[in-house]
Amino acid sequence: MIRKYIIKKETSLEFRNNTSLFLITPTMSVLIIVFPILSENRFRVDDDLFLIVELLFLILFTTLFSIRNPLDEQRLVKELNFGSIKKTDYFYSKTIAELGIFYPQIILLLILFSGFTNTSLNTSLVNICVSVLFFCINAIMINLFFQVFTSFNNRFVQFTIIVPIYIGFAILIAPLWLGVNQEISNIYLVMYLGITLVIYAFTNFYLRSTK
Amino acid sequence: MSSFFESSNLELGYGNQVVISNLKISLEASKNYEIIGKNGSGKTTLLMCISNNFIGNIFNSDIKRINNSLIEIGAVSSLIPKLSLIENINYFLYKQNLKQDLIDKILTKYELINFKGDLIEDFSSGMTKRSEIAIADLKNPDVLCIDEPKVYLDENGIQLLLELLKKRESDGNSSILSSQESINSLISIERTIDLND
Repeated sequence: MIRKYIIKKETSLEFRNNTSLFLITPTMSVLIIVFPILSENRFRVDDDLFLIVELLFLILFTTLFSIRNPLDEQRLVKELNFGSIKKTDYFYSKTIAELGIFYPQIILLLILFSGFTNTSLNTSLVNICVSVLFFCINAIMINLFFQVFTSFNNRFVQFTIIVPIYIGFAILIAPLWLGVNQEISNIYLVMYLGITLVIYAFTNFYLRSTK
Repeated sequence: MSSFFESSNLELGYGNQVVISNLKISLEASKNYEIIGKNGSGKTTLLMCISNNFIGNIFNSDIKRINNSLIEIGAVSSLIPKLSLIENINYFLYKQNLKQDLIDKILTKYELINFKGDLIEDFSSGMTKRSEIAIADLKNPDVLCIDEPKVYLDENGIQLLLELLKKRESDGNSSILSSQESINSLISIERTIDLND
């Protein structure tokens, strides 16, 4: 189901892509997080600025991961047929490849945010890592689902449909990140796990029912 | 002989526009076919449908196909522009598990050996088509569909393509060519599908 050669190809393409997340994440972090701090000639971040930057961060966080190169359906079909690659193999392998790209980027983004705004993590590291992992899987599967199985595969649709969905996912991370007690953290994580399972089940059902 | 593609009432189009209507077609394995027709007659559409690459409207067509290995070399390249030629070969022929010696031998035959590390996006149209033909030679699919076989190829390239088609015929593999007029490149053609009619 998961093919190493597809993962290798997708990762190679990401490194050669001029709109790669490996370039965009650090650049956008500097623009959105560092620039407002420097423009006010601040060295420390107080509460009011922290709120503004936090909102900007949430928007950045969701839009950043929705700006992916849209898949051209005709090219994709040709590519899969040319290589005799099954759609299910491609879907799962691409999900894993995207996870390998998204996950370190989100962790990097959180570290940059924490470093630049001088804010510490208010919850356990494990909770944050697990919730970010759920965010990644959900975001990637929804993005791929839209691009592979629907005609809504352009950037406009990514912004209008996918970003609100991503914001929903990101909102589940926010309380964990800002710090809530362990019981509420656990409830949030179980909720997130449930959503992930539903999305996985739906895509799996769709993949197996379409030829 | 079993048919790998069969339809008694093939109707293809884009949206509500019908390009091919009521075509009876049955393609058998190990036989060669030719599709001819003027511009806009639906040659590429039919070839894409046969090769399972068609994204459009099939209306109420009754299509039966057998899953066999099939490659289409069309107007739009199937190769990935951001990967080098050797990376494309490794990606598309991963399941074949070919030895490097054989790959180098075929690339030498197609005069591509010096370009195997270059990105496909830097290739000319002729070089890209040659690369696709080299991959088809390495993969040796049951069915090879080529849209406008001579387009973009130089004299040497056309010669190499003819050699491949003859080799495929002697191996008992099927080839389907589509062009504006018959190119008489195959030794025996089972049927010429004339879309001008």
